[in-house]
Formats: sequence, structure tokens, C-alpha cells
Amino acid sequence: MIDIIEQIKDAVVSGKHKEIEGLVRAAIDEKVDLNMIIDDSLIKAMDVVGKKFGTGEIFVPEMLVAAVTMKKGLEIIKPLLQGDASQPKGTILMGTVKGDLHDIGKNLVIMMLEGAGFKVVDLGVDLSVEKVVEKVREIKPDVLGLSALLTTTMPEMQNVIAMIRKQGLRESVKIMVGGAPVDSMFADKIGADGYGKDAAEAVQLAKKFIGVN
Amino acid sequence: MKSTPYNLVMSALYKGKKGERPPIANPTSIVCQDLMDVAGISFPHAHTDANAMAELALAGHEIIGFDSVMPEYSVHQEAAALGCEVDWGSRDRMPDSRNFPYEDFSVIRVPDDILEKPSMRVVLDALSILRRHVGGKAAVIGKVMGPWTLSYHLAGTQNFLLQVGLGENEMINRMLRQLMPVTIAFARAQFAAGADIVVLADHATGNLVGAYHYKDLLLPIHKEMTAEIEGPLILHVCGNCSDRLELFADAGFDGYHFEWQVDSRTAVEKVGHRLALVGNVNNPQVLFQGTPEDVRKQVRYAIEAGVDIIAPECAVPLATPLENLKAIVQAAHEGY
Repeated sequence: MIDIIEQIKDAVVSGKHKEIEGLVRAAIDEKVDLNMIIDDSLIKAMDVVGKKFGTGEIFVPEMLVAAVTMKKGLEIIKPLLQGDASQPKGTILMGTVKGDLHDIGKNLVIMMLEGAGFKVVDLGVDLSVEKVVEKVREIKPDVLGLSALLTTTMPEMQNVIAMIRKQGLRESVKIMVGGAPVDSMFADKIGADGYGKDAAEAVQLAKKFIGVN
Repeated sequence: MKSTPYNLVMSALYKGKKGERPPIANPTSIVCQDLMDVAGISFPHAHTDANAMAELALAGHEIIGFDSVMPEYSVHQEAAALGCEVDWGSRDRMPDSRNFPYEDFSVIRVPDDILEKPSMRVVLDALSILRRHVGGKAAVIGKVMGPWTLSYHLAGTQNFLLQVGLGENEMINRMLRQLMPVTIAFARAQFAAGADIVVLADHATGNLVGAYHYKDLLLPIHKEMTAEIEGPLILHVCGNCSDRLELFADAGFDGYHFEWQVDSRTAVEKVGHRLALVGNVNNPQVLFQGTPEDVRKQVRYAIEAGVDIIAPECAVPLATPLENLKAIVQAAHEGY
């Protein structure tokens, strides 16, 4: 049993997207606890992937393939989950701010968050302040993640946070920011709750905000 | 050697004689809202009209004091000519592509008259205008996108990088080789139109892909391109590329335009004897959010490290204060 858990984990880490389905099905046939497959194989694998990315051992291409592999595995298990086990750990709203069409960083964060068991609502790119505020009000997420790749669009993050505050919604949602030009100093300055330098850090932040492991 | 702007830039590019001070160049855009306002020319007009394009480039030389003029402010000229729907933006927003016409990696239809497409022609005409105005006085710099960047535009960055990750090397190579002739033709045409130097931007960016991706997939193509384009080429690749500097020198470029994330001392130590180093004042923290004194510190650090040509690390944010750009010039005018 331990063996198949390790095999699934390795398959995700090394992006063996063609093998993942067979391995997960084998684990299910062996009656391995479904949560164990998710927590000890898929999520742990994405932790490893995140760390390897952080140290420069792998790059975006490998990370994308790992995420695709993880997703394939997760899709087989999800319909089989029942009751509490199928409950997400929390809801996260993600989007790239106005004027910015870049979404790889955001998409990687989303894949990692989904892998970690969160429900993620992707608002897409080029988001107006009004649209974000409307969605925060409607969806009531635990965490809002804002992304910007361009130095030209960074100030939009501040506008979003200011509007959320003005609308009296600031206390109801934790806000994390990220993207190439952003740093923790900027995050503090604009009144965000946290900054993640990469997808793995964003997942850690979300876990901390919601109080889950 | 006379320490004129043109001489300083060209000599530094070939690592020749040093003049009275280090040259200041702009391989990528230095246009900010302040400059547009002072020059009375704004985006998107300056992306699509050759006279406006050239005049705004001149403003970088005459108003800010850079030793070069570079009229291409977007990275989408070739993409537009190859069928991307480009939104040319506004005074407050850089252009961007709205679609990926070759998401399926199908055969790319390169128009026979690609150099005559409006988005290409405008750059060539602007370079000729600049040549007539400041030829021999300031260095005229052109800019082309390499096949890696063009692939991002045509197939979508995430899609392209996913295929890289999946090991679809044949498909990647096919796309790069279909696009390589566009880069070569545009670079040659820019020299013919009046460019002294052409910047070749190819975003095998440090934080996106590894040195091994560059070495396996792009280095052979870069070697072919540098052999086929006779004039001096400066490579621009963003991000922390400390791990692949030697590969850039192997590729045969005359210069490398680099970001603050690459420590200039490391760069000089690793490849300073093989190509000219151009850079590397930080954009988000220093030029955009810092003070003129912060700018001065970075410029002096780069000069002391032995960077050959001083420049912002990449296209500057549109909200960059003009005084911070002027601070680059002032710091370099202090001399070596």
C-alpha cells in the first residue's frame, strides 16, 4: 500500500501523465483510503514540486506537466468521495488585475491550491475593481488572491483592496498578492494580508489564513 | 576617440576604447507617461505612426539624455504581422495580443510580404527617420523578437511551455524553425533601414525555463541566427539568467541586456570578456518606486562592476517618474 502511494507521488513529481491513471486506479482497486491517495500522494507530490521550483531545480514546463498529472489523478478520485471527505478546505477567489492579461503564475497557483484541497474560483484576467468586489460579495471566499506580472498593473491591486475596504468587505476576506514585480514590502504597503513569492508559498499562505493543514 | 554618444555606445559594444564616461542606452523602451506628456506624443499613436514613433524615440535622447534612440516600444510588431489580434493599448497601457492563432501548432503561414505589413513597416520607416536625424550622433537601435517569444504570442505562453514540459521537442523545434526566418529578415531589414545595433529579445526567461531548456531547444537556433545576421546583436532575456550567461556568449551575440536579478559582478566575471554587458537598473523597486538616489546607487554599482553600457533592465513601467530616468544619465555622466 505504501508502495503505490509512493509510486503515485513519484509519477506526479516527474510528470508521468500517461501512467497516473493506471496507478490511481490500481490504488483504488487495492482499497487504499481515498483521502490517503489525495493527501499522501497527490498533495505531497505538489509540495515537492513547489519546493523543487523554489530552488530552481525545475521550471514552469515541468511544473505545468506535474500539475496536469495531479489533476488527472484527482479527477478519478473526486467522484468517489462521499460526505465530509468531499468538502473543500476553503474557497479561494483568484484573478489577474485590470490591464494585465498574464495568467501562467495565477494558473500555477490555482493548480497547486486545487491539489491542496481548496475550492478555487478563477475570475480570469484583466479584471476591473468592480468585478472583483462584486464576486467577493457574491461568492464570499475565505481568501482572495490577486496577481499582476506587469509593473504597470501593480497599482491596480491597491485599488482593489481599497474598494473592498470601502465596501465594508475587508474583514470578511483575507487577501494575498503575487506576481513577478510584487514583493512583501509592496504587499504591506497596499494593505494585503500576505505575499507569496511562488505557487508553493501561496498555498502555505492560504492554509495559514484558513487554519488548515 | 571623441566621447560622442554614438562613439561611446559602439565602442563599448565592441569592448573597445573607453571614453570619458560609460554610455547609456535603451535596448528596450524607456517611454513613460511623463515623457509622452513632455514630448506631446502618446501611445498608441507612437506604435502605429512612423513619425510619431521616431519623434518619441528622439525624446529619449534629447529630453532624457540617453546615447541611443530605439523606436520599438511594444513586443507585438511581428505578432501582429503573423495574424495575432493586437490591442495597441493607450497612454496608460502597453499593447497586448488578444488571441493565439497557432494554439494547435499547425503550419505557420508567414506572409511573403511580411516586412510590408503595417506593424513591421512602421518600425523600418521610424529607423530610417532616426538615421536621417541622428545618424552618427546617437546610436540607432532596432529590435526584433526571437522565435521563442514569437511562439509565446502565436501558441500562448502556457500552452507552449506545457509542450516543452511534455517533451514535444519535435513540435517545439518545428515552430521555432518556422519563425526563425521572420526574426532574421526583420533584423536584416532594420540594419538596412538604418539601425546601428539590433536587439534580439527572446524570452527564455530565467524564472520560466531552465538553462537546460535553452541549451537543448534554443541555443542551436540562436547560433544559426547570429551567423546569418551580420550586424551587431544584443540579446535580451529577462529574469535571473545567471545560470546561462555562458550559453548566451556561446550563441554568438555581441552583447547581453540583463536584469538586476543577475548580479553585475557575477555577469562581468562569467562573460564580461566574451560579450558586452548592457544593463541593469531595476525597474519595479528602483526606477518605478525608488528615488533618484536609489537609481544613482545602482548605476554606480553597475559601472564599478564593469558593465559596459548602462541601461534600465527591461521596458520601463509607464508610471516611471522622468526624474528617475534622468538620474540614470546623471549617474553615468559622473564618469568611470
